[in-house]
Amino acid sequence: MSLDLHKIAGQIQDVASDLNANEGDRESRLERALSTLTSAQPEALEKKRVKSRANFSPIAGLGESMAGRYPYPALPSDYTVLAVDGSHIDVDRHLAVQCYLINMGTVHIRYGLNPEARLGSEPRLYTDEDSMHIIDPEGNRTQSLEGQLLGELRAVEELRTLATLAKETDPDIPALALIDGSLILWGLVGQTYPDFVRRVLMDDIYLPALDELREMAKQRPLALASYISLPRSADVVNVLRLDAHQCPYDVSNCDDHCGSLRPGQRPCDAVSGVVDRDVLGSLLDGEERSDSFINTSVTVERYYGEHAVHFYYLNAGAEMARVEVPAWVAESPELLELSHAMLIDQCRKGHGYPIAISEAHEQAVVTTKDREEFQLMLEGALQDHRLPVYTSQKNFSKRMKWL
Amino acid sequence: MNLDNNETRLGEVVETSTTGFVTQCYQLYGAPALGALVKSGGPHPAYGVVHHVATQGIDPTRRPVARGQNEATEEDVYKSNPQLAHLLRTDFQAVVVGHSTDDGIRYHLPSTPPPIYAFVHLCSNEEVVKFTANPAFLRPLATSNIIALEEVVASCLRYVASMHEDTEKFLTGAGKQLAAFFPGDFRRVETILQRAIS
Repeated sequence: MSLDLHKIAGQIQDVASDLNANEGDRESRLERALSTLTSAQPEALEKKRVKSRANFSPIAGLGESMAGRYPYPALPSDYTVLAVDGSHIDVDRHLAVQCYLINMGTVHIRYGLNPEARLGSEPRLYTDEDSMHIIDPEGNRTQSLEGQLLGELRAVEELRTLATLAKETDPDIPALALIDGSLILWGLVGQTYPDFVRRVLMDDIYLPALDELREMAKQRPLALASYISLPRSADVVNVLRLDAHQCPYDVSNCDDHCGSLRPGQRPCDAVSGVVDRDVLGSLLDGEERSDSFINTSVTVERYYGEHAVHFYYLNAGAEMARVEVPAWVAESPELLELSHAMLIDQCRKGHGYPIAISEAHEQAVVTTKDREEFQLMLEGALQDHRLPVYTSQKNFSKRMKWL
Repeated sequence: MNLDNNETRLGEVVETSTTGFVTQCYQLYGAPALGALVKSGGPHPAYGVVHHVATQGIDPTRRPVARGQNEATEEDVYKSNPQLAHLLRTDFQAVVVGHSTDDGIRYHLPSTPPPIYAFVHLCSNEEVVKFTANPAFLRPLATSNIIALEEVVASCLRYVASMHEDTEKFLTGAGKQLAAFFPGDFRRVETILQRAIS
């Protein structure tokens, strides 16, 4: 029996009613957050943030301005956009062979006088023992490469592929290298896996790829950006919590000052429940970008080093997007403007979403039918070599929908 | 396999049957004119008359959307979106009207259809004149069940007639042949011929 929609219908109605009832409250929080954003002194707030011990994370680090609005800058007449997106088939212990597959979609589009496009996908199958685990280079510990960690490997490979793609482009015209999602590999910088996993994936692959891109950017106009559609982050709202309008203490210490209060009772909860895109969305007009903020998460600052992750919000027309860039882009007015101009043009061409990322996704996508075909090809190859083809009884049971 | 002049190579066979084949063009909008004569590769190279051309998304689940509201010309739409040339495809269908053997041209169906991925060439003017010198080439076309048959036959005659030195003689021969295929349907033959010369 599948999901009983009749039983869930009433609950869905209740959710909609609750959302409607809370709308007025949310509006007032939003107004307060926006008023704080436009009236607070960034320098003073930044000083307070550095001294404070807040329980909200991440909290945006601030520059000289925090409520700036930057109009759509001039778009270069010739420019290149590169985008990479991957998808994968995860390890399935019910299959006859332990393996995974990563399909990397790549897009290279040149605009201007000599327009051209190169779209491609490169699937790679991993089956050997070394590929199935990450092995500690300094010991004998191993970590199985599957599930969420495989997603992290894919993200790492995406950036490595992007760096390779950037090397192959005409260095004489401005370029934007794009990836979908965040530049921050939260699964690796967090405490989810043993430290050697982060060292192998980040220190040995991801950060060298960022280094390569930065080195290229020193020689030519090349901006790296990651694009997050409909972001749920509240880094900027979190720093607004610290402002004197909300937090009455000179130095915030959430545990000491408000440790006995429940969420919703704290003074700073006057701006809770809204996210950055709500606040910046109220500030920015169409095709404008916000000031750049810094991700101050301790682990991100520690592991990303010179590639510290900055971000800005972009009114892309149809939605507010979060754009993450490394420090070397954020600190270069030229590269920052390039990223802004090219992203807006990409969104115009892509009906609200960067067309290059959209096409990279289309190149990479592995459909349910593809997965089934892949499984059949795998089993066929085993049979050709007279190898045993077996599956779990659970998988067999799912395939045979008997009564 | 046919490995002759690459300049006239239009594409490759992607669907094939005894009576016709579908060619995917290498170039977007690279299909020959309606009624043009093409020739496949393969062990029994087949001659075909183009009777249907279609351009659509390579991925059938992705429908093209309007993109040109802010562009000055249709050409600018493609210039501003260079990826489109890789995401759209042009196919054309040809009805088989004969084939070539070591002994020469045959005006009947080959024993086996062209294989998938057989190269498809546009026939040169000389080859068109040689193949169509015998109006028997019209039989498989005129007796096929393709859509808009009269239009296709007329287009074919117009295309071919312009390459013959004596256009009138060619069309007279073709008209007689058509009259034999459509006995008692003089008006149909007349319609085709009128369209062929207009």
